[in-house]
Amino acid sequence: MPEFHVVYRHREYGRPLTTLAEYTRVGGFLGLRDAIAMSSDDVLYAFHRSGLRGRGGAGFPMGRKASFLPKNTGKPTYVVCNADESEPGTFKDREIIEQNPFQLIEGIAIAAHAVGCERAYIYIRGEYEAQATVLDAALAETREAGHLGPDALGEGRPFDITLYRGSGAYICGEETALLESLEGKRGQPRLKPPFPAVAGLYGCPTLINNVETLAALPPIMHRGPDWYAALGPEKSPGTKVFSVSGHVLRPGNYEVVLGRTTLRELIVDMAGGLRPGRQVKAVWPGGSSVPVIGAGSLDVPLDYESLEGVGTFLGSGGCIVMDDTGCIVRACHRLAQFYRHESCGKCTPCREGTGWLENILGRMVEGRGRGDDDIRMLEGLFGRISGRTLCALADGAVMPVQSALELFRDEFVRVAHEGSPRPAPMTEAPVG
Amino acid sequence: MTADEIEEYLAPMRHEYADPRSLILPALRYAQGEAGWLPPASMSAVAEATGFTEAYVESVASFYDRCYLEPVGRRVLNVCVTLSCMLRGSDEIFDHIADYLGLDGEGTTGDGMFTLQRVQCIGACDRAPCLQVDSGEQVGPLEPADATCLIDDLRDLPAPERYER
Repeated sequence: MPEFHVVYRHREYGRPLTTLAEYTRVGGFLGLRDAIAMSSDDVLYAFHRSGLRGRGGAGFPMGRKASFLPKNTGKPTYVVCNADESEPGTFKDREIIEQNPFQLIEGIAIAAHAVGCERAYIYIRGEYEAQATVLDAALAETREAGHLGPDALGEGRPFDITLYRGSGAYICGEETALLESLEGKRGQPRLKPPFPAVAGLYGCPTLINNVETLAALPPIMHRGPDWYAALGPEKSPGTKVFSVSGHVLRPGNYEVVLGRTTLRELIVDMAGGLRPGRQVKAVWPGGSSVPVIGAGSLDVPLDYESLEGVGTFLGSGGCIVMDDTGCIVRACHRLAQFYRHESCGKCTPCREGTGWLENILGRMVEGRGRGDDDIRMLEGLFGRISGRTLCALADGAVMPVQSALELFRDEFVRVAHEGSPRPAPMTEAPVG
Repeated sequence: MTADEIEEYLAPMRHEYADPRSLILPALRYAQGEAGWLPPASMSAVAEATGFTEAYVESVASFYDRCYLEPVGRRVLNVCVTLSCMLRGSDEIFDHIADYLGLDGEGTTGDGMFTLQRVQCIGACDRAPCLQVDSGEQVGPLEPADATCLIDDLRDLPAPERYER
């Protein structure tokens, strides 16, 4: 199946939509207009009917999440856009922000109308400075046009968006850590419940969604939730952007209708496949925090249920591909370094466990492994980390390693005994 | 940077936050722009401007990778080394830059011009292996020679008016 563009409307038109005039010319802000003409309850119902699921990683139904916000609490309600995109292998939101920023702004305004919010925040990672500049300009232009400001959501219904910049912390992509950071604290996850819907930013009802989720709302409102729901399978309708990287010839973002494209088509037909003579060895299809799958699973259709069927997750759609030149233990070690660095330190099993993972994998790779003892130690470690922490970072640290050990046990055993020299990296320039 | 200057910077955005605590991170980022890191005097100024204690402000600053509590070079070279970049040669790029700068791994050059560090995924895996100078554009895919050219170009530039880390 070819690409199908809902959130990447700029690709439909073959150019970035970075001015309001251009965005309006291609139907921009019609979704917001249609939403404002409806009651907020009807808009919430439209979210629900569309079947849209959260695109940040967890895949929770967006309409349900929005419906959890209590009404008439006497407190303000907030919408927060999670633009902290930090999951390794994921760079889909970056393109929305760089090339189609107004669709995100429009989506946030629609969500704000649905939940009765007057002030929304976009939390963007500190490393996305260039992208923040694009967003800042787009926000200013939107404000000037009156889509933000005192009458943004209809006469006397003010709404505005504040851009808030992070400063380098993967954990701030976790929704409660993000809220802590936005409140001016160390970005450490909160105990849930209460969930952000009930007690989020400043203790107020808060809807927090990923960039891609919110950017899907304008077309859903304008073309109708039934149109969106008819795209792809019943349980995971719509489109999803997959960011493909690693050992492929044409790394990049590809937006596809869920369920209609296989992982093999994504890697081979869209991302240009591998170098001649090379075979796929391992794929992390949903960012680095999901279980790795092998060449035997390439014909899986790309949707939430099918990927779960082969033991992994769709996650953020950050699809990292490694060919048969790569060493799986080295890859796991590199990811373990990431999680150790990014563990916020609040929960002991994660703070200590990610360090143990890195240490054991590190000595294996360097040829200082302790043979079968290290394999046993790794196996004993997984259950002491997973499921014992406030947030999913620890699970994300364990899943890729645990799944890799199951899938590539022989290689782990060999490396635990013999080490693993650094393989030559892929140096071919991307095609196209 | 003085507390007054920081307060002046924060004034137009105060109304956007229900709790002034939210101003700490914007204040830190702003203060860091002056020297490229956060010397104790800047930390005190942020504390005074936001109304929180120095200890609290430092506890926040110390959480974030891109808040620097120690001096760094005029330019910070961030080489992404996470998986997608590793598969495409980020370790070789890092080693090449370190060699070129005469550094033994991460660190700051003797002339204070460059700090070289490994960073975690910067969301530019399609440009792997990639490098980010301060918080500028993610540059890639890089070959070792590109990296050294880029460094030579940077060396010739004057210090930025404000450091964006």
